[in-house]
Amino acid sequence: MDNIGVLLQIIFWGLYAGCIYILLATGLNLIFGVMKVVNFAHGEFLMIGAYITFTIFILTGFNPYLILVLSMLALIGIGAVIERLCFRPILGTGKLNEIFLSIGLIYIIQNGAAMIWGDAWQSVKSPYAGITVQIGSLDVPFDYILIMVFTAAILCGLYLFLKKTTIGMQMRASSQNRKGAMLVGIDVERIDIISFGLGCALAAAAGTLWVVSGQVFNPYMGSIPAVKAFAIIILGGLGSIPGAIIGGLLMGLAENGAAYFLGGIWKDAISFVILIIVLVVKPTGLFGEKGE
Amino acid sequence: MKKHVLTIAVLIITAVLLAGCTQTQPATQQPSGTGSTSVIKVGVIASLTGPASNVGTNMWQSAQVAADKINAEGGVTLKDGSKVQLKLIVGDDESTATGGQKAATKLITDDKVDILVGGYSSAVTSAYEQTIAEYKIPFIVTGASSPIITHRPDVDTSYIFHHCPTTDTYGEYTTLFIDQVVRPAVNKKLNASADRPFRLALLYQDTAFGKGIQTAVNNTITKNKLNIQLVSQQSFRMGDSDFRTQLTAIKAANPDAVYNGAFPNEGAPIITQARRDIGLNTIFLNAENNDNAQFYKDLGQYGEGAIIESRYSPYTAPAGEVSEAQEGFKQSYFARFGTYPDMMGASTYEGVYIAAKAIGNAGTTDKTAVRQALVDLKMPQVIEAMKDKTISFSPEFRESTFDLWMEQLSYNATIGETRPVIVWPDNLKTTDFVLPPWYVAGSSP
Repeated sequence: MDNIGVLLQIIFWGLYAGCIYILLATGLNLIFGVMKVVNFAHGEFLMIGAYITFTIFILTGFNPYLILVLSMLALIGIGAVIERLCFRPILGTGKLNEIFLSIGLIYIIQNGAAMIWGDAWQSVKSPYAGITVQIGSLDVPFDYILIMVFTAAILCGLYLFLKKTTIGMQMRASSQNRKGAMLVGIDVERIDIISFGLGCALAAAAGTLWVVSGQVFNPYMGSIPAVKAFAIIILGGLGSIPGAIIGGLLMGLAENGAAYFLGGIWKDAISFVILIIVLVVKPTGLFGEKGE
Repeated sequence: MKKHVLTIAVLIITAVLLAGCTQTQPATQQPSGTGSTSVIKVGVIASLTGPASNVGTNMWQSAQVAADKINAEGGVTLKDGSKVQLKLIVGDDESTATGGQKAATKLITDDKVDILVGGYSSAVTSAYEQTIAEYKIPFIVTGASSPIITHRPDVDTSYIFHHCPTTDTYGEYTTLFIDQVVRPAVNKKLNASADRPFRLALLYQDTAFGKGIQTAVNNTITKNKLNIQLVSQQSFRMGDSDFRTQLTAIKAANPDAVYNGAFPNEGAPIITQARRDIGLNTIFLNAENNDNAQFYKDLGQYGEGAIIESRYSPYTAPAGEVSEAQEGFKQSYFARFGTYPDMMGASTYEGVYIAAKAIGNAGTTDKTAVRQALVDLKMPQVIEAMKDKTISFSPEFRESTFDLWMEQLSYNATIGETRPVIVWPDNLKTTDFVLPPWYVAGSSP
């Protein structure tokens, strides 16, 4: 393999990693944009999504890409319940409450998952494992093409939902000015539930795509991706979905580039190096607005 | 509003209780037949929660199987002729250094154990070695594999006995296997001359464990002047699950084989991603901690041709008495827990036997006398093959010496998994090492 070939291959792995980050960070940003709550337990929804896909796959043998839809629907429900029972009562009571509530949720969800599924590492075998596609000089696994297509499709769906549907417009209105939205008669509490559910569903999609790509998972796997998702939304700009997309891609590419050029131990650190540089140069993030 | 406050309060209490259920596993569990006062308290430090809980639970359950067996046979005979039962007390290290520190301190100061067994992950175990030194309590380490456990100069490790091969040992053993078996096979396939340098790549976890393997390989090559060239040395952070970039770099270096210094949850995705996504069709060599059922399950067909250095396997055993002993252990464990034990479980099982034998030889639970008994120990091997069929600890660093072997995996389409066969050394092997038909040797770039 020549140097250009290796570089292209690494860019491809970076784009794949970026897809997972984009979905996770977009969900987190959707929730933050509308509710302005800090949810450190967002990675646990990725983990639950992975386990739901795994469970349905074991029980039915369905194609995991089809199970993705079921997993997203399940997480909409789970997210709605958690928003109603946990986050709504503390909305507006201070960031410290939100932080401690979400840290508590991490322990509850991790231990709950360990009780239900055990804490052994698990994996799911994609029906397309072993199939590769020739793109130029690269021989890439078909699963990764599918992962990128699914990510793009989900983001397009989200874009259309936010732009074309009444609920989507109400979500945007609540995100821009919550009081104003209330004044014009939008039921912001209903919008909160929908936003939280949708954010969790995007995390579930990330979890499903994580497992079909051949990565292993256990109940404790969500914490690191959640921290990275936070770094991405700060990098891209709080509440900005285009920011989350660009930030996610940057993060995926930077991590894989660092692993190649600097060594694997720099993989996690590089994201935060970039984050610090961006914050120093542009404190609101790449696409953030003042006051967020 | 009151309702909401109440709901949150209930949730938080539930969280605390739930966390409590798993974070602080029942501190004491009595095996059958233990008395109230005249018992030998054996503390077992294991990761019952956190990322290593799978291994930790296996270690704790194996210790229980050993204690049950010893107690059923009458217990331990002391100097005064009295027969004393073993009582196990578990300490959960939570797979963290701070958790390990807490567990060790509690077992020593609150539970007042007579001896300690267990300890998994060198990073976690080394975090509480200072406490062991302070209280001078004999500790038989059965899970952590870095040599620093008994070699470190900054802590008095004289009460610590290492019953688990170190990365030095198995790094050297695996490198010698590569030189003596894999290298000639690759040369034969390539019709190359015997002096063609073997192109080895390393992919190792960036911890004491992974770096230990890296150091051992480098030292073995230098010390023995082996004709092995390290063409790529890539590292990754513990717990990573995406290795494609490092594997792409390794493939670009054209290796003849790749040695993984990884845990099973990393080793299986490394091989799967390498063969499935990168097209790196080479021989992968793995450290012994990968020889467990989950590893075989996760690998599926991609494990074909891979090598594991081992001393205890769920699916094979060297012929002879060890085989029967291992089968007996597996059946006793299965009868009690409905699953099969893994390698760290096997050494912990032996750790309890070693503790019982040392206390029996000392005739007392006095810590200094028990330590001396461990220093002088010469007992027959229990379930794992030991050098000279004897368990004893080396004078300088108090390490026991295992008879290791190398096994190669072959795919069984009926079960959809690979199974191992022993291919080295000659006195233990059941068949010869073979290069799979799909194997691609490296060449000079």
